[in-house]
Amino acid sequence: MIRPRVIPALLLRGQGLVKTVKFKEPKYLGDPINIVRIFNDKEVDELVLLDITATPENRGPQFDLLKNITSEAFIPLAYGGGIRSMNDVRKLLSIGIEKLIMNTSAVENPSLIRETADHAGSQAAVVSIDVKKGLLGKYEVFTHCGQKKTWLDPVKHAVEMEKMGAGEIIINSIDRDGTMQGYDVELVRKVADSVQVPVVACGGAGNLFDVSEVIKQGHASAAAAGSIFVFQGPLRGVLISYPTPKELKEFI
Amino acid sequence: MTEYRMCKRCVMDTSDPEITFDKNGVCNHCHTYDRLVREHIVDGEAGRQRLEKLVADIKRAGQGKQYDCVIGVSGGVDSTYVAYLVKKLGLRPLALHLDNGWDSELAVKNIEETLKRLEIDLYTEVLDWEEFRDIQSAFLKASTPDSEIPTDHAIVAILGNMAAKLGVKYILIGNNVRTETHLPSAWSEGHFDWKYIRELHKRFGTRPLKTFPHFGFFTYYMRMITQKRIAILDYVHYTKKEALRVLQEELGWRYYGGKHYESIYTRFYQGYILPVKFGYDKRRCHLSSLICSGEMTREQALEELEIPTYSPSMQEEDREYVAKKLGFSDEEFNTVMNAPKRSYWDYPSYGHFMEQPIIQAMIPSVKKVMALFQ
Repeated sequence: MIRPRVIPALLLRGQGLVKTVKFKEPKYLGDPINIVRIFNDKEVDELVLLDITATPENRGPQFDLLKNITSEAFIPLAYGGGIRSMNDVRKLLSIGIEKLIMNTSAVENPSLIRETADHAGSQAAVVSIDVKKGLLGKYEVFTHCGQKKTWLDPVKHAVEMEKMGAGEIIINSIDRDGTMQGYDVELVRKVADSVQVPVVACGGAGNLFDVSEVIKQGHASAAAAGSIFVFQGPLRGVLISYPTPKELKEFI
Repeated sequence: MTEYRMCKRCVMDTSDPEITFDKNGVCNHCHTYDRLVREHIVDGEAGRQRLEKLVADIKRAGQGKQYDCVIGVSGGVDSTYVAYLVKKLGLRPLALHLDNGWDSELAVKNIEETLKRLEIDLYTEVLDWEEFRDIQSAFLKASTPDSEIPTDHAIVAILGNMAAKLGVKYILIGNNVRTETHLPSAWSEGHFDWKYIRELHKRFGTRPLKTFPHFGFFTYYMRMITQKRIAILDYVHYTKKEALRVLQEELGWRYYGGKHYESIYTRFYQGYILPVKFGYDKRRCHLSSLICSGEMTREQALEELEIPTYSPSMQEEDREYVAKKLGFSDEEFNTVMNAPKRSYWDYPSYGHFMEQPIIQAMIPSVKKVMALFQ
């Protein structure tokens, strides 16, 4: 059996990487080129890179920066943020991005998922769904980096996206983001049990037990995490880390 | 052009433009080494007592505080050994790391492993990369041989700032007499000189400095009075060989090749830019210190100097990476490499100020006053 993937998720804000808490309080982590290079040298399974200000700033991907980043990474790189057209998709593929992650576009222009899947294969068309719990405990989908409520239900949305050709769904809990209190296992399981394609859990990992739990109990195919791979210790000192193959085998 | 000469005792040579030799052909750096060893290294029972007193002082000053001292960690040998030593001595350190955007995977892994095993908390100061890149580019364009000064200055600044913030008096540093005394000032001068950094950046930088950690003239002297920077490795029988053994066996630490090669930029700067552009091979001073401390023979050092600073293919890889990170085209990088060499003294600095006769005349009395506070 193939071990489930464990994926560092990195957030790009302007030219630098940050880590947020509940999509707020961005803490600066440094230059993306060097950080990606370190993860590359650590031989991570793959990397997720999300430009969190692209859509709110109503702009596309920063192709020049991404090109410098991909040239340091010999691992599969998934990118999301401001992908709005097939032109963006083609350009990103040409500079070495393997997977295209769409969030706002998936809601506003779902045919782009279909076109991407037709053009590059469904494995390249990834939909990420940002979810927040409403006042009554109901899960709701947000776009524009958590700023815009859509009234969509995450499970129905995921099923819809699978129909459009998405080859993978990333389910990201806004409430758990950066809290390190564990994934929203219930949310992940609901989505994972409703679709056939791989579901990547994101938001809340505090340690490798959490990662293992969301895979076993949440039925996720893979787990993405930020804080545990960029912070160390009680003071959250910025330090890039990734479990060794032995540690991964032990936990997952 | 002076004739080529090499010291009879160590391997320092006339690539240091200011080197002088005594009648036996021994260089000034060796004499400095002997003097510093005499002044700072205490062996045997007296050394043990001195260390005991230091530890007691640190513990007393840190009573009731979360940490009693701060240390810097880079992932390199000296700083990691300091971390090991202070824990062994029962102190409660906070570790600070300066992330200047050039950490190698080995460096961060070494920091992670050692701090976890030693149970030391970590605080990281991440330099704003866009700003720091501008400073590093400015130093390269200024054509002086000391492009590591901004990093060294920032490290001293963040250690001092954190100690002040925590109300901690002691900063324990990895600098030490035995392994790093032969550094010619012509190769790198003005580490504490904020005016030099600022003026140089004003001339060659392209954006304002807003967040770069620094300290001015006044703060520097105030901190000499209020804080204590202790070169703790001078308090123990510190040898590279033994340190490497301890770190590898007890802390899961991994070696990275050369002195300060844990940073990609430092590796490239010391291993490529300095020798190729300036004709300075920094290994000369490091090896010379080790010769004087008895860790290696002069013959071994000469043999080592025959080997390239590091593998040429890796140098080429680093050159591409550095150019990319700094945003230099090949042409711009070649311009930097071919630009006429300048020195610290070609730019405004506190150094110029200190050189004035009236200030020079005042130094002895200032030193006396400072001594009263210490």
